[in-house]
Amino acid sequence: MNRQYVLKKIIYSLITIFAVLVFNYFLFRVMPGNPLQILMRNPNASAEAIEKTKELFGLNKPAHIQFFIYIKSLFQGDLGTSFLYKGQPVTEVIGSRILPTLLMIGAAEILAIITGIFIGVISAWKRGTKIDIISLSFSLISYSMPTFWIGIVFVTIFCVQFRIFPTSGMMTPGLSYSSFMGKSLDVIKHLTLPVLTMSLVLIGQYALVMRSTLVDVLTEDYITTAHAKGFKEDYVIKKHAVPNAMLPMVTLIAINLGLVIAGAIQIETIFSWPGIGRLMYDAIKNRDYPLLQGIFLLVTISVIIANLLADLTYGYLDPRVKSRS
Amino acid sequence: MPQRNDRVQDILILKMEGNPMKKKIVVFVLFSVMLISCFTNVSFAAEEVSSLRIGVTQEIDSLSPFLSWSISGDEIFMLIYDSLVRVDENLEPSPGLAESWKLSDDNLTWTFVLNDNAKWHDGKPVTAEDVKYSYEYIISSGLGMYAGGLEDISSVEAVDEKTVVIKTNEPKANMLMSNAPILPKHILETLTIEELETWPNDSPVGSGPFKFEELNVGGFLKLVKNEDYFKGSPNLDEIIFVVYANSDVMTQALKIGEIDAVVNFSASHLEELNSVPEIEAVSAVVQGFTELSFNCSKDLDSKGNKLLLDKNIRQAIEWAIDKQNIMDVVYYSQGEVGTTLVPPGDYYHYEPADELRSFNIEKANELLEEAGYKDIDQDGIREDINGNKLSFLFTLRSETPEEVKAGQMIAANVEKAGIELKIETVDDGVLIDKVYSQDFDMFIWGWGTALDPTVILNVMSTKEIGNLSDCNYSNEEYDGLLLEQQTIMDETERRKVVWEMQKILYDDAPYIILFYDNSLQGVRTDKWDGWTRVPEDGGYFFNLTYTNYMNVKPNIQTADAVSDSPQEQEKSGSSSTALIVAAVLLLAVVSAVLIKRKKNSTEDDDE
Repeated sequence: MNRQYVLKKIIYSLITIFAVLVFNYFLFRVMPGNPLQILMRNPNASAEAIEKTKELFGLNKPAHIQFFIYIKSLFQGDLGTSFLYKGQPVTEVIGSRILPTLLMIGAAEILAIITGIFIGVISAWKRGTKIDIISLSFSLISYSMPTFWIGIVFVTIFCVQFRIFPTSGMMTPGLSYSSFMGKSLDVIKHLTLPVLTMSLVLIGQYALVMRSTLVDVLTEDYITTAHAKGFKEDYVIKKHAVPNAMLPMVTLIAINLGLVIAGAIQIETIFSWPGIGRLMYDAIKNRDYPLLQGIFLLVTISVIIANLLADLTYGYLDPRVKSRS
Repeated sequence: MPQRNDRVQDILILKMEGNPMKKKIVVFVLFSVMLISCFTNVSFAAEEVSSLRIGVTQEIDSLSPFLSWSISGDEIFMLIYDSLVRVDENLEPSPGLAESWKLSDDNLTWTFVLNDNAKWHDGKPVTAEDVKYSYEYIISSGLGMYAGGLEDISSVEAVDEKTVVIKTNEPKANMLMSNAPILPKHILETLTIEELETWPNDSPVGSGPFKFEELNVGGFLKLVKNEDYFKGSPNLDEIIFVVYANSDVMTQALKIGEIDAVVNFSASHLEELNSVPEIEAVSAVVQGFTELSFNCSKDLDSKGNKLLLDKNIRQAIEWAIDKQNIMDVVYYSQGEVGTTLVPPGDYYHYEPADELRSFNIEKANELLEEAGYKDIDQDGIREDINGNKLSFLFTLRSETPEEVKAGQMIAANVEKAGIELKIETVDDGVLIDKVYSQDFDMFIWGWGTALDPTVILNVMSTKEIGNLSDCNYSNEEYDGLLLEQQTIMDETERRKVVWEMQKILYDDAPYIILFYDNSLQGVRTDKWDGWTRVPEDGGYFFNLTYTNYMNVKPNIQTADAVSDSPQEQEKSGSSSTALIVAAVLLLAVVSAVLIKRKKNSTEDDDE
């Protein structure tokens, strides 16, 4: 039963990935924009040179043939070559951006999840008190503040005024490190502001959702029962209320995890962080179909995997989900 | 009394023993502090080489000169590679890889003698064969931005180790204006011609004053000096081009000294930067312009508004635009109002005299009245005799907020002459498609021009329709003059023809040259000495020369200032260490509290 449930979820996910793959491929070809013109900014391009370039990037074949070539090479781990980064394999271009993206988003998510849940729980627990009002207003403000603006404010405060952190990039450019530790510390210094900015927005969101679900849960009968049994308040919250309030949080976190891979464009732009978001923007601007497809594929897969994980976590958190399906 | 002391100690010990978790935390905190303080020292030890950090907003698109199509590429190839001829501070040809050259009496045979000491970065000597191989590949493949400059070369021969003979069918007036880089044959020949078309050139080997060190895509590009450069080693150790995705942040980085120079910051920051005594910010004249382009296609398939084929309307629009006001408001007056195709400051620039169309709304209205465009239905928009309204689609690029603002002001200007402009804002890709499918009325974009006027004049020729031409302009007389001017070796004579061409264009007005906008550049003068603007009113970088990269040196006079900066770094280093320590401590306290809670609740559970 259990194995069947997991298997079913995985198969569904695979089907979804394939459907999106097909859809994406044709979507990019219906969109306006002729990549050939961007490739061939050659004042003296002869007909032969144009033909050569077409052949080079496989643009001379009919669309459906291009599609089958794409699917085939996809299974060989080949996503084609980027137009924008002339001739570099898409896998390499994206590959160089995955680690920075995961590092920043991973750190921001972890920070936001821990702090967000913590604030949400405190707020629900002490609901109606001053603590609740303070944390609720903090959450609302942080949730509604424009990311771009927070970023610029942080740069002004921490980089220009106090000069604690560097303004941009992932490493001090051109510095040669004598040890891996030195490098790590440099990265951490560069990482701090983007992570703070990004998590600030997420914290508000998480705290608000956590608070409202927990407030709901706290009015349930079994909570009254637990109190009646004589358990202390914090024990009831931790053991009886929070686990039940976690379900919507899991969904929210899963959705965010999938989307943030692509959705950090603003932060990546302010702090010149070499992430996937900026890469995607450049790819769109330059009609770089193979690169865009590669990024979309990555984003799709991460959204689907995040959802799969959410489904499986659900099954773990709430056995009813498993038995029902 | 001693008893009491003992008791306190006992209690302390008891407490510690009673809570092993706390002990662990203390050890953890101490360990972290030690570890962190030792990283901090490590990362600031490597601050001794003089490295020039230049903030840029555009990244190199390819390290291969055959594939790159960017200004950044051009700038970096100039440092890594040599061209036969370089440009000096007066923008005149000066020896590059070629020490000397001469032209035969019939103006068809050029002989270049290479520098004896020129060596590739891997130690091998540069020979005439390298020149032959590079030129022949660029010419035969037609690939990249350097192919245009080598047009019309019929043969390249290596006479001996150090002598190259280049033959042309017609005299080639722009031969010495080509900056095509010479690449090493011994590396190129290991690749097939087809492989070269996608060759990433990951670790370029050149002969230039700087060696390629590292490219961190989306981050930076690092070059180090070539100690054995045949014209003398540069004064600085390394150049790092740092890519910024946001130019406001880039400006702040210059202000606090994180970088030493910036290129192309926003005009709104000029005053702010100039108020910092250690920074010199300039508004540099660069070769280029921003234009309003009309669809002049006479093609039946063209989807452009046919009314725009009447040059009276195009001229009337120019009369109606208050360029100076837009220049002041949008570009903070950093540049000049535009007139003709070749920018001022260039030897070949043509300045319209009597025919100059400067802002005059009466003239615009007069011209339209005379041409028979009247507002019959009194709705504020003129019509032609068939009742077609003078209403056009005006496409603007979302990439540049300045152009969008300028476009809105133009639309407001032109409305007073009874012409309606409907604005649409699109991204570059969409506009490029519209241009190639001739599906547009008018738009704003810009061009960068080169030392050789042929490059920009060529854009307006008939043969470039469907390729470089973005206004579909066609004029036989103009096309004839374009070919002619390339073959006139006498500069004054050549200029006459180039002037004639610009006069034709100004009269026909397929383009309205709106502005010659400046490039804003800033440098730090506290850490670096010897900055030169090239030409006099030009910039420090992207000025076709390598003057500043070669001459600028770390500031010795303010040796204190130099030694100051590591101290400053250290200070910031230690303050961030303090911050990290504080964070770790906070975390420890929080976890201690949580653990205590947990313990308490477990006890409760047992109850």
